[in-house]
Amino acid sequence: MAGWMIAAALAGAALGADASDRLAPLPPYGTAYTPTTVDERGLWQQADEAERDLRDSPAVIRDAALNAYIGKVLCRSVGEDRCRGVRVYVVRAPYFNAFMAPNGMMIVWTGALLRLRDEAELASVLGHEFGHFEMRHGLKTFRRGRTIGDIIAWTSVISPYSTLPVSLIQLHFSYSRAQETEADLMGLRYLTAAGYRPLAASRIWERLMAEEDATALGRKRRVTHHYSAGFFADHPTELARATYLRETAGADGERGDEARDAFLTAMRPWRATFLADQIKRNDFGGSEYLLGELATGHWTSDLLLTRGELYRERGNPRDLVSAAQFYQQAIDAGCTDPIAWRGLGPSLLRGQQAAAGRAALKTYLEKAPAASDRAAMAMLIGEGGVQ
Amino acid sequence: MRRGWGALAFAAALTMTATPLTAQEKTGNKPGFTLAPGTVTIVLMRPEIAVGAQSTGGAYEPNADWTDQARENLGKALAEAQGRLGNRVITHVEPVGQGAAVAHEYRALFTALADSVQTYQFFPGNRLPTKKRDDSFLWSIGSEVASLPGVQGADYALFVTTEDHYGSTGRKLLQVFAAGVAGIGVSSGVHKGYAGLIDLKTGDLVWLNADLAMGGDVRTPEGAAKRVAQLLEGFPGKPVEAPVTSVATKTAAR
Amino acid sequence: MNKFGIVAIGLALIAAPVAAGNRLIVPGQPVAVAKSMLTVTPAVEWNKLGARPGRNSETWTFDGDALNDLTFYGGIEPERTLFREVSKRNKPLPRVKATMLVTDIPTLVENSYRIALDTPLFTVEGMEPMAFAGKPGIRFTYSFTRPNEDLPRKGEGRGAMIDGKLYLITFEAPRLHYFDAGVASFRQVADSAKL
Repeated sequence: MAGWMIAAALAGAALGADASDRLAPLPPYGTAYTPTTVDERGLWQQADEAERDLRDSPAVIRDAALNAYIGKVLCRSVGEDRCRGVRVYVVRAPYFNAFMAPNGMMIVWTGALLRLRDEAELASVLGHEFGHFEMRHGLKTFRRGRTIGDIIAWTSVISPYSTLPVSLIQLHFSYSRAQETEADLMGLRYLTAAGYRPLAASRIWERLMAEEDATALGRKRRVTHHYSAGFFADHPTELARATYLRETAGADGERGDEARDAFLTAMRPWRATFLADQIKRNDFGGSEYLLGELATGHWTSDLLLTRGELYRERGNPRDLVSAAQFYQQAIDAGCTDPIAWRGLGPSLLRGQQAAAGRAALKTYLEKAPAASDRAAMAMLIGEGGVQ
Repeated sequence: MRRGWGALAFAAALTMTATPLTAQEKTGNKPGFTLAPGTVTIVLMRPEIAVGAQSTGGAYEPNADWTDQARENLGKALAEAQGRLGNRVITHVEPVGQGAAVAHEYRALFTALADSVQTYQFFPGNRLPTKKRDDSFLWSIGSEVASLPGVQGADYALFVTTEDHYGSTGRKLLQVFAAGVAGIGVSSGVHKGYAGLIDLKTGDLVWLNADLAMGGDVRTPEGAAKRVAQLLEGFPGKPVEAPVTSVATKTAAR
Repeated sequence: MNKFGIVAIGLALIAAPVAAGNRLIVPGQPVAVAKSMLTVTPAVEWNKLGARPGRNSETWTFDGDALNDLTFYGGIEPERTLFREVSKRNKPLPRVKATMLVTDIPTLVENSYRIALDTPLFTVEGMEPMAFAGKPGIRFTYSFTRPNEDLPRKGEGRGAMIDGKLYLITFEAPRLHYFDAGVASFRQVADSAKL
């Protein structure tokens, strides 16, 4: 059955005939839940063990300000009753994902923080995950179909590292289509109740799809987004999802808070790190798309610098020329980070522009005399270029 | 999947379903090492215990009740067994804060060490030439282990890992079916474990016992006692004949 | 149990990796490594693993690759990856480029590891010029953690671009005890490298 039909049916059931009616108010939230059945206790224990490991893991970002901000958004999004007792962990992983385990721990990957545009979008993602938790979806999926693949998906999402499938969309825990739709709609209810702009939810999926398409094109593969879910697919397809979320948000979709500035301010100290993690993934197409989205027509010096790194990393002859241009544009736009000259120099050297390359590296050494690669870069100047 | 078994074993568990026919149990002792029973203090590190079911497809399904029972039973059985050997056993108190990260790292290193002993020395398939010789049980975790929080006051550290996947009915049916119809060997159930002893003065691994096919149902006290007897097989030092005055256990110094 | 299930089990058995034998490396003699013209003369004995990371590479160890790992890359050509792809379709590895500078070698290692091991926790600590096999080369240090392990590791590499191809020797071990215990032997091997 096509994803959009399920979505429409659920939306209709929850909201009455007209999908653009106001979403139903949130149900009252019960007291703390403890697992009762054998299956559930097993899941909780696994989640508790995973949380033990996460507590000590170097993959978790412990910065107080960042965690406080995300906690604040969660609480505004789902309400104080619901957010009490949730433990949020920010895990350094350059993919879009967020997940809430049955024992009340919520995991957000840094790739998600890089791709979200404003607070409303963050609230929508956190709310969606909380929706799965509130409706106890994890347990139902576990009970129904335990294949090796499902278990791998489960443990891989909990552990800080995992062998990950490429599709950003597939990174989600393998809930069923109906459950994903329920969580989407629950998330919308939180968003609306909290006063955030409801259209935030659909926009995320649209951008994720476009990024996946860009990744595929960059790797010379076919673009694969369909409208209706195939028989074996577990999720409402991204297109279907974007569509019904937009429709359910309805006429009120544009009203409400997006708190873009608050979000960008909270992310600013981390953006360079998250961008570096993304560039190193060898995904030229997806990274180009992402940088373009972040720039939204206004290329700041840090984004130009990152673009230079991206092109230099791919390193084909024309890329090196482009990279040199981007580094130079970053510098012209006011970049003072020595990394700009550290990238410009080798790009020029490898492009057979020895004199200009050496000059750029000299500037790097002047700006970063204590750099850990100082001697190596100096050697490049002495040697005069390519081996 | 239990973290203790590492990526290699994880991959092996997924790809290899046939039961290995070769030896499944092995003990290693550091050459020349002896331990006079009743003379030493042993700190028991928190055992890694996982008990669950094995689905038809071979997947591990954790079972919290079984694991909790096993933890309790194994804890008692271990203390008793060491007590019979006359050694004083103290339970490692998990440190908090910075000490926790160090303890975590040592636990991970011990797991990597024990995996390496089994993969590259104990069991045929991938043994290293230098580890096949006589008297080549020479392994260490490094002498800095003496500064691991919570082991001060002890002479040796005992690490224990045990894992049970009880084959479900579906799995057992598959085993019969596959053997009968397709002639393919399919294993049902996983019951493996290992125990190792580290000399806290030098960091040397003085003893490791590994068993890929263990007995004893760890969910019961009797089964746990049997499992512990297997885990501690070949433990250095013979049990004393006369009953020893039991020494009250106390927690290790922080 | 349907037919598909049984076929899957059979294929899994067939596809299970079979390690070629591990060999002893005798000290004091020059030995060619990584199916290339690169030779080294170790002063102590090592074990050579039957399993190779890729076509022009090989790994030596004392106690098992999780405890000490000395890997040689012998003449990786332009447009080739450092080691075997883990998932060419979904996680393609970066490739050696003919125009690579020695200072690009640590980045190639870093990005290859980040992708293959799925870890963002890889840091190049530092690099400095140091001759390799008689040519201008680089020495660099790094730190990382393998997936599904919380055991931080340290690494050191020595390499150069020679005739447009990448030659590299790396040594990796847990930072707890094992790196310090083995790094001197690695440095001796790397210093003895000849082409």
